[in-house]
Order: sequence, then structure tokens, then C-alpha cells
Amino acid sequence: MRAPGEMPPPRKGLYGFIDRRYGITPLVDFLAHKEVPIGGHSMVWYYLGGITLFFFAIQLASGVLLLAYYQPGEATSYESIRFLTTKVPFGWLVRSMHCWSAHLMILSLITHMLSTMVLKAYRTPRELTWVTGFVLFALALGFGFSGYLLPWNELAFFATAVGTDSMKAVPGIGEWLLQVMRGGTDVSINTLYRFFALHVVVLPLFTVGVVTGHLLFVQRQGMAAPMAHDKPARGMKFFPDFALRDLLLWLVCLIALASLAVFLPYGPGIPGMEWELGKKANPLAPAYPGIKPEWYFLWVYQLLKEFPAHLFGMEGSQAAIAVVSVLFGIWALVPWLDRNARASRPSPAFTDLAMAALVFLAYLMLKAWDIGGGEAVLPDPRAVARICAYWGLLFAAVTVAVRLALRSAPYFDFTAAAALQIALHGFVGLSYLAAGAISVLLLAATLAFRIVRSRNAVAVGTQP
Amino acid sequence: MIALVALLLLAAPADESKYPAPLREFLSAKNKDGSPVLSENDRKTLAAFPDHTRNLLGAAADSVILGSAAHLKILLSLELAPAAMEIVAQDNCILCHSDPGNQKAKHLFSTDPAARHANPLLNLKEFVSDVHFRRGLSCSGCHGGKPSDEMMTKDIAARWPAEEVRHSDRSWIPGFCAKCHEDAAFMRGFNPTLPTDQFAKYKGSQHGILLLQQKDSRAAQCVSCHGLHGIRNAKSRQSTVHVQRIPDTCGSCHSDPKHMEGYKLADGKPLPTTQVAQYKASVHGKALLEKGDLGAPACTGCHGSHAAMPPAVASVAQICRRCHAQNGMLFDGSRHKTAFEQHKWPECETCHGKHGITKPTDALVGNTPGTLCHDCHSQYAEGNQQCDATAASFRTALDALVAGRADIEAPVERFAERGLDVEPLSRTISELDEALVQTQSKVHTFDLSSFQAAAQPGNEAVVKGRELIAQTRREAGFRSRGLLAAIGFMALIAAGIALKLREIGKRRIT
Repeated sequence: MRAPGEMPPPRKGLYGFIDRRYGITPLVDFLAHKEVPIGGHSMVWYYLGGITLFFFAIQLASGVLLLAYYQPGEATSYESIRFLTTKVPFGWLVRSMHCWSAHLMILSLITHMLSTMVLKAYRTPRELTWVTGFVLFALALGFGFSGYLLPWNELAFFATAVGTDSMKAVPGIGEWLLQVMRGGTDVSINTLYRFFALHVVVLPLFTVGVVTGHLLFVQRQGMAAPMAHDKPARGMKFFPDFALRDLLLWLVCLIALASLAVFLPYGPGIPGMEWELGKKANPLAPAYPGIKPEWYFLWVYQLLKEFPAHLFGMEGSQAAIAVVSVLFGIWALVPWLDRNARASRPSPAFTDLAMAALVFLAYLMLKAWDIGGGEAVLPDPRAVARICAYWGLLFAAVTVAVRLALRSAPYFDFTAAAALQIALHGFVGLSYLAAGAISVLLLAATLAFRIVRSRNAVAVGTQP
Repeated sequence: MIALVALLLLAAPADESKYPAPLREFLSAKNKDGSPVLSENDRKTLAAFPDHTRNLLGAAADSVILGSAAHLKILLSLELAPAAMEIVAQDNCILCHSDPGNQKAKHLFSTDPAARHANPLLNLKEFVSDVHFRRGLSCSGCHGGKPSDEMMTKDIAARWPAEEVRHSDRSWIPGFCAKCHEDAAFMRGFNPTLPTDQFAKYKGSQHGILLLQQKDSRAAQCVSCHGLHGIRNAKSRQSTVHVQRIPDTCGSCHSDPKHMEGYKLADGKPLPTTQVAQYKASVHGKALLEKGDLGAPACTGCHGSHAAMPPAVASVAQICRRCHAQNGMLFDGSRHKTAFEQHKWPECETCHGKHGITKPTDALVGNTPGTLCHDCHSQYAEGNQQCDATAASFRTALDALVAGRADIEAPVERFAERGLDVEPLSRTISELDEALVQTQSKVHTFDLSSFQAAAQPGNEAVVKGRELIAQTRREAGFRSRGLLAAIGFMALIAAGIALKLREIGKRRIT
């Protein structure tokens, strides 16, 4: 037995060789004693970050393989992808996995963010972990947008033209920003060159850096323990218990990814989730109706459509971008806005905010897909709004039912506001914005009433 | 910079106080309800004109020919370019005949010909779009007189027959139009590319013979097809003689049983009035009118325009050959050529029809009842076994190619959905389509060896296509098996990890 303070005997072999030079024993000790807290909620939420990281790793690996054949250029971009998918052994599989993995990465990232929100894992001292996560979300969207154009096919070309066009709405520098993004006034091969640089150099460098920071924060602070009001925390050893479970889940993800890539190589065929190469882009050809961005941009696309040409003296698209910016800003600042969670008190309002955000996004996405519009090229917007409202409200009801079943605190102000907007727009026939304004005003009044009531309660409680 | 300054100057609002006095008065004119006669839009239109144009309008108002604000509003509603407005402002005929306060409905150029009592022939909007007006030729060009005359003079309409004659006898019209249109030197000043032989051709046409020789004023003349006071360039889609409007223009007479009453075919039968309806349902009519293929023939494509005549038996096949040259050449070398000549049958028309030609199908060919070959041969050349065998071979070969194509095409979409490379298959289908067209065309040789030689590439394409389908199916199978193997391998590792986790759990408990 070693006396206290006595150093363990030096290890032999490769470990000893490295340890003597780099002193890795403290790191190994740290990992050996690292524990993952277990609360009353399901452990599954802890794996989502790892799954996102796994899909990002797949992206890097398949991206490098794609780079071995991809040649950016007006006469080569489309042709090289075509060659890769038709002639190169397993080229089709690499491209298909890259595309599927991109969508699954964003899906798991969004789920990871929502679970963090619901579990309040962003609370002090993990605010910067949340912020780096938010930055990673923005970077992932950037990856999606820049990568979409690279095959230089018809759909990508027009979707990029529509997507970049919204940049005009940025106040003051919109036109300049549009020109910088496009490398000219229109989408051209110059746009592809800069999107290519962004997609394979700039964004990966940033992402690897921010991911490293995010992981360091998580390792340094450990995973967020359940809230005090949750069940008492126990621990699960990170190595090997949690790590092996992580690995098991990654294998399941890989099996799912490979199966999807083989059986649905061009995606599920939903607008915004398809990547069939199709025809080569022709900048002189007229755009065709029904072009939609990728599914995670659909809500912005639909929101832009809901705004009139002019609103309060500014262009409608400017107002829409302003609303999107405010929503993103609120989302990024959640750890500071949620004062209850900072004080380790129950914070059902922000859980409800996350659910309301889901309902809000889901309704816009359904509308963007023209659900209920039939086969018409230009569906009747009233019919679409109505049918989507049924689905939107059903979804809102499901979120409420699930929360009640999980014995979550009955706080539904935000979800109610989102549902009210859907109902006013879809069933009463008010415009989307008018319905939104009424819902926001009622929500503000309700929140003000709650704040006043809670202050009065506090004041009464402190009376001698 | 100069362009910017010019743009700013143009964009700067015109100072209405500098307008000619009569125009200023018009601007301040009010309706009975107190609202201004000239709307904000009218003001903008007026402001957009250069000073010179406004001064010309002011001068016309000074001389009271531009009689009121309401009259000016009518002219502004035409949305004319400054140069065109200047022609109008200096043309007393148009000014006087467009003033609702000065003309009876019968003589008023209206912007709304649908209005009650308006003369549909005097559509002002149509008139200012007329090809003659656009080239500077206005009322006086045809009617006589001078645009600057303030009053109607006797020389107006003096160049035409008297009113009671000119409406009943239309034979003066072609000669009247031809005064300019057959004068090459004169026409060169307006449109050097326009032919000047229309009248010469017309004289020899069926219409020309009827009108000029037999004085039949029901026969079409220039105005019947080109219209009046709104004549457009034939390339304009609004022209009554634009290729896509020709069937309706011809049909306005030829589909009207009342109009065509009394006209007879060479064999003495009444001239039918179903040609246009048949044409619209034909392969040519659909191509031109539904698919917008401007290369497809309209009535004039076969009958000619100014020299329109019914094609005789000898010439009808030559008309088809203008587009279908290859089939014509094949037919020329066939044994049917002499047979048709002996029977005095028009070549193409005999099998394909004329106005109502439908897309030919392989079902026309064969030795069974209902096929063209069988039905004709049973009537005129029954019992020729060689012909029967040839027709049967044609049909068998064509059916084999079509069936082969269907077999190859069937799985392509499914393969494409699975991400398999279908480009070679698509290419093979294109090769097969080309071979099929060539083979179908070779039917016109009525010669089995030529036909079989043409069908050979198609047969090869079918074999190649079937081989490609087998290859693609093998690739699909390889992918599925590969996936299963990979899943099996990963599942083994996953099972190992699961067992390890279980063992760790048990160890902890013990």
C-alpha cells in the first residue's frame, strides 16, 4: 500500500512512455472518475450531443471523400458530382450518407437544444455552453445553406437565388451583403466559388474550434445535474458505462444512416428534404414554381411570405428579418432571461416557451409545405391556413398532453398564445400578422398580470 | 454621370404652370361631382411627354379640334409614345373623329368598341396599333384629304367607288391596297423585306377569280383576312393572319354554312364546312394551336395565302413532302407509287387523310381486318400473299420493338428512385426511339428487306436494354446484400457492447 502523498510507481510500456513525456495520468484519472448525473428524467437526452457529434464526424469523413472527386466550376461541379454518383464505386453511397447525415445532424442538434431548454441545463454556470451550442446551430445552418449550391443543379441554383435574395432585407447593408454573398448581382459560378470556400474551409475551421470549446466546457463543468426539484442526483461512470452506451447508440445511428442512404438515396422526397441531382443549373432558364428551401429554413421562408410588401414604413421582408433576428436573439439569451432557473427554482415558463416555439415553427413549416392545398401549383392560401391550423392545433394539444402526462407544471401561456394565433389565422381568417399581434398582446397582458400578482404575493408574504 | 443627370431631369416632375394655356384649363376642368376630369395618372402621362408634344396638343386645343378635357383624357388613355402622340396631335381626322362631343357614334373612333352605339370598326386603340399608323400612314393615306385640313373636303373618299356601290361590290379593294403594296419602289420606303406580288398571286387564286372575274363579293379579299383599322404585322400574335389565328380567320367564312352556301367541289358536291373543325383535332392543329409549334402548318401552309387554291391530286403529295421529305422519297421508290398513279389516288392523303390527319399508329399496318393494308388490299389487290406476309412482318417487328421499349422503360423510374445509374438505360431508350421512328418511316418503302435493315438497330437496342436492366438489378442486389452484411457486422459489435455493459452492471451489483 502506498503512503498518503506517495506517487504511484511509474507505468511501463507505451502508456508509461507517453505519461513520462506528457503527464497524461491526471487526465486519465479525471476521466476515470468522471460521472454523468442521473435525474428523474430519461437519460436519453444526455446522448443527443454525442449523436450530433457523431453525425458531424460522418460529415467530415464523407465530406473529405466527396472532395476527392468534386471539382468546383461551371463546367465541372455538376459533372463531377454526376461522375461520382454514377461511375465511382460507392460514390453514390458517400453522397447519400453526406446528405442524410447533414439533415440528421441538424435534427439531433435541434432536439439537443430543445432538451437542454426543457431540462434547464443552460442555467448558471453553463451559460457559455448554451451560447457555444447556439453558435454551432448557426454554423450548421450555414453548412446547409452553403453546401446546397455545390452540385450546381437546377433546384439548388434557384433555391440559392431565393435564399440569398432575402439578404436584401438587412437594413442599410442589404444590397452590399447580397453582392458579397453572390459575388455579383446574380447567383453565378462566383457564388459557388465562395460558397465552396465557406463550406469546406471557413465553416469547418470555425465549427471544429467551437465544438472543441463546447466539449471543453462540458468536460470541465461536467454534464448538468438535474434541477434541485427533480429527483436526487445519482451518478453513472462516464468510462466505461456512459461511453459504451454512447458507442452503442452511434452504431444504431450508423445502421439507420446506412439503411436510409441505401433505400432512400435521394431523401424522403419531401420538399426541403430531397437531393436528387436532376438537371444542371441554367442561369438563363426561368425559375419554376414550387421551389422551397431546406426544411430547417422553411419557417423563415414562410414568415417572409406572410409579411406584406410594406409594414410600418419599412419593407415587409425587412420587418420579417427583424422578427427572425429578435427571435434568434431571445433564444441565444435564454440563460440570462430565465431567472428562476438561475436560482435553481422551477421554471415552467421557459419549458412552455420551448414548446410554443415548436408549435410556432411547426405551423409555419406545414404552411410552407402547402398542406391542404391539393395538387394546385398555386394553392388556395385560405384552405392551406385552415388545414394546417387543424394539424398545428393537434400538435399543440399533443405537447400539452405529454407535459401533463409527465406531471410538468401547468404553465401554458406561450403555447396558448401560439395556438391562439393559429386559430385566429386558420379558422377566423385574420391575416397571420394580425393574429400574431393579437396573440402577442394577450400574452404580454397575461405575463404582466402574473408578474404583478407574484410581486403582490411576495409583498404580502414579507408583511410582519 | 450624364445619364444620371438626364435621368434626374426626366424624373423631375414637369411644371404644369408652363403648359400651354388650353392644357392648363383642361387640367382644372371638373366633372359634375366636382372631381377633376383628368386623373392623377393622366397628369403623369401628360407630364411624361416632352414640351414639344404638349405644345402640339396645346395647338390642337387652341384650334378647338382637341375639344375638351374629356377628349384629352381619351387620347392620354391610349398610352402612346411621344412620337405617336405627335402624329395624333397633328392629325385632324383622328382628333375630330375621336371627340365624343363632336361625332355621332357611327363615325366616332372609340376606345371602347363594346360601348353602346359604338362602331366596332372604329376602335381607336386598335387604330393606333395599326401597322400603317405605326409607320406614319394615317387616315388620309387611304381615305384621301390631308391631315391638316380643318374640314372634310370633297377629295376624301373620292378615290373609292361611290358609297352605294363600294359595299356591295368589293372587287375594288384588292386593287386599292395594291396601289401601294405592289409598288416595290414605294414599299421599299416602309418595309423593304415585304413582298410586292400579293395582288398578282391573288388574281390567280380561287378567291381572286371569284371576286375579280365573277364579281362574287362573298369571296375573301384583303380586308376579309387582314382586317381594317387595326392591321398588325403577320408575325404579331394579335394579327388575324398570325399563323395560330389563321384557322379561325379562314374558318370565319369556310366554317359558316350560310356563307359557303352555293360553293361546290370539282365533283359538284357542296363544299364542306367542317375543314377547320377537323384541322383543329388533327395532329397539325394540335401541334400548332395546343403545343405552340409555329412550324406546324395552318391552312395557308398547304393551300397558300394570297394564291390560295385547293391542291389538286397531283400536287397534294408535293405539299406534304415540303415537311415530310424522307417519307415522300421512300414512297417514290416503292411499288405503291405506280399503283397509286394508276388509280389516280393522291399519295399521302389516301392513307393519312387531309384536314383531319391524326398521328399515325402502328395499328394502321398489318394483314388483319381493320388495318389499312388489309382493308385496301382486300378491295383492290386481294390474294397477294407476298403483300400479306410483308404487312404481317411489318406489324410483328413494330410490335416487338414497342413491347421491348415498354419492358426496358418499366423499371427505370424505380431504379432512379433507388439511386441506381439509369443514364445508360435512358440512352438506350433514346436509341430505341430513334430506331423505332426510322423503322416506322421505312413502312413507306413497302419493302421487307429495307424495313428489316432499319429495324435491326432497334432490335439491338432492345437486347442491350434488357442486358442493362439485368446489370442494374445485380447492382441493386449487391447494394442490398452489402447493406445487410454491414448491418450484420455492426449489429455484432453492438451486441458485444451490450453484453459488456451487462457484465459491467452485474459486476457492480455483486
